[in-house]
Amino acid sequence: MMDTGHGTDLRRKIIQFIIVAFIGLIVFQLFRMQVIEYEVYTERSRSNSIKAIKLNSPRGVFYDRNLKVLVSNQPTYTFQITPSDYSDSLNSILENVVGIDSGRIAEILYQKRMYSEFLPRSIKKDVSFESIAWYEEQSEFLPGVNYIVDMQRDYSFGIKGSHIFGYLKEINADQLKLMKDKYDMGDEIGFNGIEKAYEKYLRGEKGVNYFLVDSRRKTIGSYLNGSKNRRPVKGKDLVLSIDYFAQKSAEYLLQNHQGALVAIEPNTGEILALVSSPSYDLKDFASVTTHDLWKELSSDPRKPLFNRATMSVYPPGSTFKMITAIAALEEGIVNENWQVNCAGGYQYGDRFFGCTHQHGRTNLIEAIEKSCNTYFYQLILKVGLDKWNEYAKLFGFGSRTGLDTQEESSGLLPSRDYYNRVYGKNKWSNGLTLNLTIGQGELGTTPLQLAVYTAALANGGTLYQPHLVKGVLNSKNNSIEEFVFNSEKINISERTLDIIKKGMERVVSSPEGTASLIKLPDLTIAGKTGTSQNPFGKNHAVFVGYAPVDNPQIAIAVLVENIGYGSTFAAPIARDVIDAYINKIDISDQNEKEEIKITENN
Amino acid sequence: MQVGYKLQDKFDFYIFIPVIILISIGLIAVYSATINHPTAQGNFEKQLFWSIFSLLAFVVVYYLPSQTMRISAWPVYGITIITLIAVLIIGKTVYGAKSWINFGPVGFQPAEFAKIGTILALAVWLGTKKHNINNVKDIGVALLLGIFPVMLILMEPDLGTSIVFVFFTLVIIYWSGISLFGLFVVLSPAIVVFSSIFGTISLILTLIGTIILLFLFKRDLFISATVFVLNVAAGFVFDYVFSILQPHQQKRIETFLDPASDPLGSGYNSLQAKVAIGSGGFWGKGFLEGNQTQLRFIPEQWTDFIYCVVGEEFGFLGSLFVILLFTILFLRMLHLAFQIRNQFRSLIIIGVLTLFFVHFAINIGMNVGIMPIIGLPLPFISYGGSSLTVNMILLGIVMNIYRNRKMHI
Repeated sequence: MMDTGHGTDLRRKIIQFIIVAFIGLIVFQLFRMQVIEYEVYTERSRSNSIKAIKLNSPRGVFYDRNLKVLVSNQPTYTFQITPSDYSDSLNSILENVVGIDSGRIAEILYQKRMYSEFLPRSIKKDVSFESIAWYEEQSEFLPGVNYIVDMQRDYSFGIKGSHIFGYLKEINADQLKLMKDKYDMGDEIGFNGIEKAYEKYLRGEKGVNYFLVDSRRKTIGSYLNGSKNRRPVKGKDLVLSIDYFAQKSAEYLLQNHQGALVAIEPNTGEILALVSSPSYDLKDFASVTTHDLWKELSSDPRKPLFNRATMSVYPPGSTFKMITAIAALEEGIVNENWQVNCAGGYQYGDRFFGCTHQHGRTNLIEAIEKSCNTYFYQLILKVGLDKWNEYAKLFGFGSRTGLDTQEESSGLLPSRDYYNRVYGKNKWSNGLTLNLTIGQGELGTTPLQLAVYTAALANGGTLYQPHLVKGVLNSKNNSIEEFVFNSEKINISERTLDIIKKGMERVVSSPEGTASLIKLPDLTIAGKTGTSQNPFGKNHAVFVGYAPVDNPQIAIAVLVENIGYGSTFAAPIARDVIDAYINKIDISDQNEKEEIKITENN
Repeated sequence: MQVGYKLQDKFDFYIFIPVIILISIGLIAVYSATINHPTAQGNFEKQLFWSIFSLLAFVVVYYLPSQTMRISAWPVYGITIITLIAVLIIGKTVYGAKSWINFGPVGFQPAEFAKIGTILALAVWLGTKKHNINNVKDIGVALLLGIFPVMLILMEPDLGTSIVFVFFTLVIIYWSGISLFGLFVVLSPAIVVFSSIFGTISLILTLIGTIILLFLFKRDLFISATVFVLNVAAGFVFDYVFSILQPHQQKRIETFLDPASDPLGSGYNSLQAKVAIGSGGFWGKGFLEGNQTQLRFIPEQWTDFIYCVVGEEFGFLGSLFVILLFTILFLRMLHLAFQIRNQFRSLIIIGVLTLFFVHFAINIGMNVGIMPIIGLPLPFISYGGSSLTVNMILLGIVMNIYRNRKMHI
């Protein structure tokens, strides 16, 4: 700047250059933003101003086979925290008011730290009205805290159904990743039982409301007058195969026992009742499970969370004897007149295999009726392990039954290969089969398998895939869109089955039958008792049966752990459930009335 | 055409028409930004009133006798200083700055009116023949004239307005023909201050650069040493200034240097402003259709972020149109400043031009994200009575000079 005069041309040019250059810069920046990167900013602007609020769809309701409600929904208040607006200093106040353990909020927030801080986290479900009232008064001092009205399962219809219905759990991050389009953080998803197996029917479709929001994410109106909003679609209602009376009675009858019961409609495979005892209260899972409850349940030595009806493997005891008999008859090894003289047991090699009584001369039907071990010891020696295994397999033992909720064990059906593998080739004696024929030894079956087997005996030899759900209720005309399940006809002659069924009928109807004490005046029951030895205590009481004899409507398997004879402890339970189902009686209700009567008489 | 020619001879439409259009655009934008806002109802009407009021002020100033400026310069400057001191004592605090003096229902910002007095005073001082711009004493007085109000305004504190004062003081000194060394002496402390924002290393590097330049100028040791000490002092003064800034202002500077550090704080405004402008696209979303504006994503959008409304609702075309109007205004004023050989009047125009341009550059720069968020209104467009009135008075002075230009060649 050599010219040092006032306002020279050079000085003007320098200022002009600065002005033009800066304006050029601004124009360039405007062009970049409004023309080149227009779409980026448009997208940001859109997501800025439109907020989608998801509307949860009510979950499908469970009905029993007669369309009685078993599980429904009820509104509940849930407290939520949105971390972006929330301050940790409120933790202890909130924990106090809503009644959760101290430090729990910090724990929940920590667990969910990977989610966006603008998403609300549920901290307590099923909050009391008092807490809500408190919140309404104090809300201005509680930034980032709000509550929503949510739906929660309602189990107040008289059926516990713990091991049938299953429960819901908050979706975890991995599941969420896979099903981003259908679920959001904090959503519940079926964790087990029917809730899990039929999740896709039950969950329905979420709705969404779009709102315009201002810079504070405060709603200031609806977007496009709500024309883009979607209403939630309620989940499909399921019609269960469960019978209210059978299930309610079975739960009542088993409540003080450890054991399981499975009742099946023999002509369809529909499960009428399924109980595992001890059980737990699904109500406790409906609100957010406290850690204590979870710990208590999972560490309980009686294993209430375990589904004994489908997962527990027991030796079936004498209820398995029909398998040997069927194999013998079908293979023509003996006919029904073949007799054995029971002197209270059978000496095989150097080992004596005992019987319950000295049954004297016994034919096949009598052997079933009186559950004569001696007869079956000798019969299995004629039939052999391979044939026995083959016929047991036909009835579904040793493999999964195909239960729709899929929570089941396959049990254990020993075979020649199995023994060779366990004991070494030819290093085991045929004496092992003497245990198998009376349902002891390595043989393991689930109560569900026993029920399916009994149903097949009752229905003339068809193995149905057992299921808990019949179909989906069409709410428009109350019709049921039934699901299709498999069935398989077992290749066994009617004559053979008739003989077996005759024996089973006499178990109850004959005065000498092992379950004669459950005989009812107006309802014919056929069955077979079993007493399954186990190394952990008293024998398990087992009973399988069906009724009515001429036209079976229900097949049932009952197992009560560590209690004694099947005839004494399992058979009466089976009878009562059969009675409850056929005559539509609520046994628990009746018994309570009787108890009241007794106290009144006293 | 005879009449038209005569009118243009007395009244510069190249300045007036762009300004009138800018004020109209401002009214439209203020209307759009406030119509759906719960707490800004009535701001459009107020702005309409101030537009008319300031236009009257403009006309009055336009018709003032041509000697008025020179005569009133010192008294106005004196009043300026008094009101700037007064506001520190009796002022009302708005947004963390004690910048308003209220007379009943009417309030005004002394710092706005101080612009007039300071520009006049500087122009009078440097425009007098007996003062030599390359005389250290005369430069020193000129600097003091500018720095004194800056100090007072910084104490409010109002960083943005202080920056404007610094700029027009420097440009007026520059325009009056300061030598390269003089310019260096005046500018280097500012450069040192600016570099000190970026940390100790850049401060040291700048100081080293200062030393090298001082050697190249080959002035005597005493002057060189004095200049260097001034530079070092400036660096430390800035630290003091920074420390007296309001936390939100400190944050704004820090956020500008590292926008990612605070995406939801001060950076939020900048980001939302960019989103508003960018999403306007080429054609804009239409009047009252800008969702960023209508949904109030940008706080107090009718003041410092008014340009976003234009950008969002009228798009690239609208934004460019505003820039174009300002460009015409700036270049025309520069042209006038160059044409008018009366030093006093030329300096006034260059001072007003600088003031408008700094407001424009910082305001639009921060709206489009190339400048830090410094609260400065966009001349003629942003909502605000004091600012609009002062701008129109300044414009009236410029037009008055234009009207009388032939008397003072």
